[in-house]
Amino acid sequence: MARRRLLFAVPVVLAVSVGVFAAAAASPFDPLAGYLGDRYLTASQEAQAKLAEQLGTDRPWFEQYLSWLGHLVTGDLGTSRSFGQPVADVLAERLPWTLLLVAVSLVIAVVLALGLGTWTAARRGGWVDRLVTPGCLLLQGLPPFVVALGAVALFGIGLAWLPVAGLTDAGADLSVGQVARHLVLPALVLALSQLPWLLLNVRQSLLRALTEDHVTGARSRGLAERTVVARHALPTALLPFVTLLGARLPELVVGAVLVEEVFSWPGLAQAVVTSATELDFPLLAFLTLLTTVAVLVGSLIADVAYVLLDPRVAADG
Amino acid sequence: MGDRRLVVGVTVLAGLAAYAVLVPWVAGVDDRVTDFAAARQAPSWAHLFGTDSAGRDLFVRTAAGLRVSLLIAAVCAVLSTVIGALVGALSAVAGGWVDRLTMRVVDGVNAVPHLLLGIVLVALFRGSLVAIIASIALTHWTQVARIVRSEVLSLRDRPHVDAAVLGGATRWRVVHRHLLPAALPQALVAAVLLLPHAVWHESTLSFLGLGLPPHRASLGTLLEEARSSLLLGGWWTLVFPALGLVLATLAVAAVGSGLRDRVALPRRAEATL
Amino acid sequence: MTPALSVRDLTVRFPLAARRRAPRRVVHAATDVSFDLHAGRVLALVGESGCGKSVLASALLRLLPGNAVVTGSAVLAGSPPVDVLTADERVVGRQVRGRRLALVPQSAATSLTPVRTARSQLEEAVCELAPGTDPRARADELAERVGLAPRDLDLFPHELSGGMAQRVVVALALAGGPAVVLADEPTAGLDRPLANRTLQLLREVADAGCAVLLITHDLGGLLRAPEVADDLAVMYASRLMETGPAAAVLAAPAHDYTRDLLGALPAGGLVPIPGHPPELTDLPAGCAYHARRPDAGRCDGGALHTAALHTGGVRSARCRPLAVALC
Repeated sequence: MARRRLLFAVPVVLAVSVGVFAAAAASPFDPLAGYLGDRYLTASQEAQAKLAEQLGTDRPWFEQYLSWLGHLVTGDLGTSRSFGQPVADVLAERLPWTLLLVAVSLVIAVVLALGLGTWTAARRGGWVDRLVTPGCLLLQGLPPFVVALGAVALFGIGLAWLPVAGLTDAGADLSVGQVARHLVLPALVLALSQLPWLLLNVRQSLLRALTEDHVTGARSRGLAERTVVARHALPTALLPFVTLLGARLPELVVGAVLVEEVFSWPGLAQAVVTSATELDFPLLAFLTLLTTVAVLVGSLIADVAYVLLDPRVAADG
Repeated sequence: MGDRRLVVGVTVLAGLAAYAVLVPWVAGVDDRVTDFAAARQAPSWAHLFGTDSAGRDLFVRTAAGLRVSLLIAAVCAVLSTVIGALVGALSAVAGGWVDRLTMRVVDGVNAVPHLLLGIVLVALFRGSLVAIIASIALTHWTQVARIVRSEVLSLRDRPHVDAAVLGGATRWRVVHRHLLPAALPQALVAAVLLLPHAVWHESTLSFLGLGLPPHRASLGTLLEEARSSLLLGGWWTLVFPALGLVLATLAVAAVGSGLRDRVALPRRAEATL
Repeated sequence: MTPALSVRDLTVRFPLAARRRAPRRVVHAATDVSFDLHAGRVLALVGESGCGKSVLASALLRLLPGNAVVTGSAVLAGSPPVDVLTADERVVGRQVRGRRLALVPQSAATSLTPVRTARSQLEEAVCELAPGTDPRARADELAERVGLAPRDLDLFPHELSGGMAQRVVVALALAGGPAVVLADEPTAGLDRPLANRTLQLLREVADAGCAVLLITHDLGGLLRAPEVADDLAVMYASRLMETGPAAAVLAAPAHDYTRDLLGALPAGGLVPIPGHPPELTDLPAGCAYHARRPDAGRCDGGALHTAALHTGGVRSARCRPLAVALC
């Protein structure tokens, strides 16, 4: 199974990278303009032609693609124009911040989804359920950037409780306390943007599980309701949740892009936006590829987790 | 239950549509006209939703933005549905390796974050409406393709299809005359459910400064504008466009799920027979 | 001797959701059902599917959905005696279910949680229902009592054979040391040898001192294993039609329904019963079976002809006064 997923991942990654280069070739935009910036308008024809030859942009796009791929394989990721440093350095500087943000929000979202989802299903129709479930439906109608702006307006500006931009206060040194304070809002917003789907999924599959034979069986055995829910209903209800976690990864990436952009969080997702607005092609192409790989690996992990959690699947091979 | 959702959803949508179409028309004000003397005014009787940093009336501009966003979303939904329905139907009818390959492609497209593809496409074809629409349509057809495929597969074995085949109808004729019309309700529901995604996608791209140019009102450009006004206390620049976006999304979702129940109910009744 | 469980006039009604332009309908799932269960004895409750017999088990365990209306009484002997139908829900949940009154559910395999081993579920039941005992040793002991090797417990439910799963659920039912065991269609879906072994297992449970209610639609299975059931009750359209010692009822059925049921078996000549059981929403007045078959025999309006239907060993039947109380 894992092997089949890997075999599936390779063509997807290749197709995405080819697609990016093909789209670049078809675009009306001249890569030299991106490279030269303002000088594009003043540079002479000859100088431009020479530069194009130097950069290889005069060659057909698939040749450019192959040479890019060759460099990639040997570990040369190219140079980012918008950040003025090698792509590898951009990656090393920004990836940890993105991982921190995504990991913290994912933990918050999963814990809240499991806790509240279980509570609302076990006490269906109770006041928590009547509060949380419509709240989730409303949140599903809010794009992450609106939630982010709302949080900025309310907590950052209205109440002035928390900082709304960057890693640290202006001029402050990088410290755990500073980063933690600046992490609160972005992480909460990112968690909140994923929460409704996760929570409603837990609630729904738990409600379904609560009517299944094995739960009725456990209940008729005389087990306490807490045991019935936690040890009989929840374990089976969690299986679809794990799959959903894998399937929501692309949305999580999208959420990260928006949250980093709104909160000026210096992560990779923000670099995606920067490289796109400034047409920093080496960085954009690499980040697209990296995200695709990350999502594929994530869903692979979800599949493996599913197999580990469900003995029936493992038995089928 | 489904019916009530449908009624509420349709009512809200009709209200929003009326607002989006009528207000710019009746007001007779060009939403792009700037008036810096009236910049960033809080809601008042003169400006119901207040004004933005360039003094543009937000009541009119939100209506214009809503109209643009809904139009783009509708075009995208139609395009995705057509692409998805064709791919899904062909895949189901062709079967064999064509089907397997198509489904792998669907999985592949789903594996890539849609917004990322959108960002790449829109960045390369800057400011072009076609690029925005294409970036949405090209990433959102997969859901429809899956639904239509499974629908066609389940319909293929029904008696009237067998009868048509025995009657000497060609494969494409069967698809065209019997299978696609039968799969249509499901495809329509999928199209409606696509709308909120398309609205989000467009507004997100515009919000990132990659979609429509800032002077063209769309929910996304309005919210991008709100971002800087917010820091100066202009809460109304966020609230009203966001309200439009949320209402539109939720109303369409309600209509979609109401329709889905409608389509699903007769089938469930059939299954119990 | 006081019965371990004494059920009197147990009646279960399900009001259906009102539809527009239609009178509100009510499902008559069980009507005036009375019987006694005695320690060491097996009472087999027989009836066609849909006659309401499985509802009895759920009603006694208080596991019916919230819209059910239950009346009557069902007193569990012991100290203190408990009327399981009227006792507080928490009392039933914490002191009765699994501990004094246990269920062997329908379809053993699906009543086990699929992602946990049999052992984990059995030890969990032991921990909760009989605190203070060593769960592992007690689980092994229970396994052996139902004829399982202790290592079989380490399998996941999907790895268990049908017979093993059946034994596991019996072991689970015994975990709390109950005085009364309700078996709800334990042989449904099992092949003949397996069904037979399951019945023998329940016989052993009774021989060990439990009172057992065996709910089944498989009258043929009971005929093939005559030693299993001590008493027999026949149910039709929510009511008991006939009760008495199993051997006597099977040898000389008093009610036409019992007679026709036996006649429909291969041994009885495979004569199918004409017509269909009635919908439980619109039951006829009088004997529902004679309304289905007016030609079948004598009916005097469906009254129950006995004062002592429930005490062990005495025969009774609907529609027809029994001249002799046997036994």
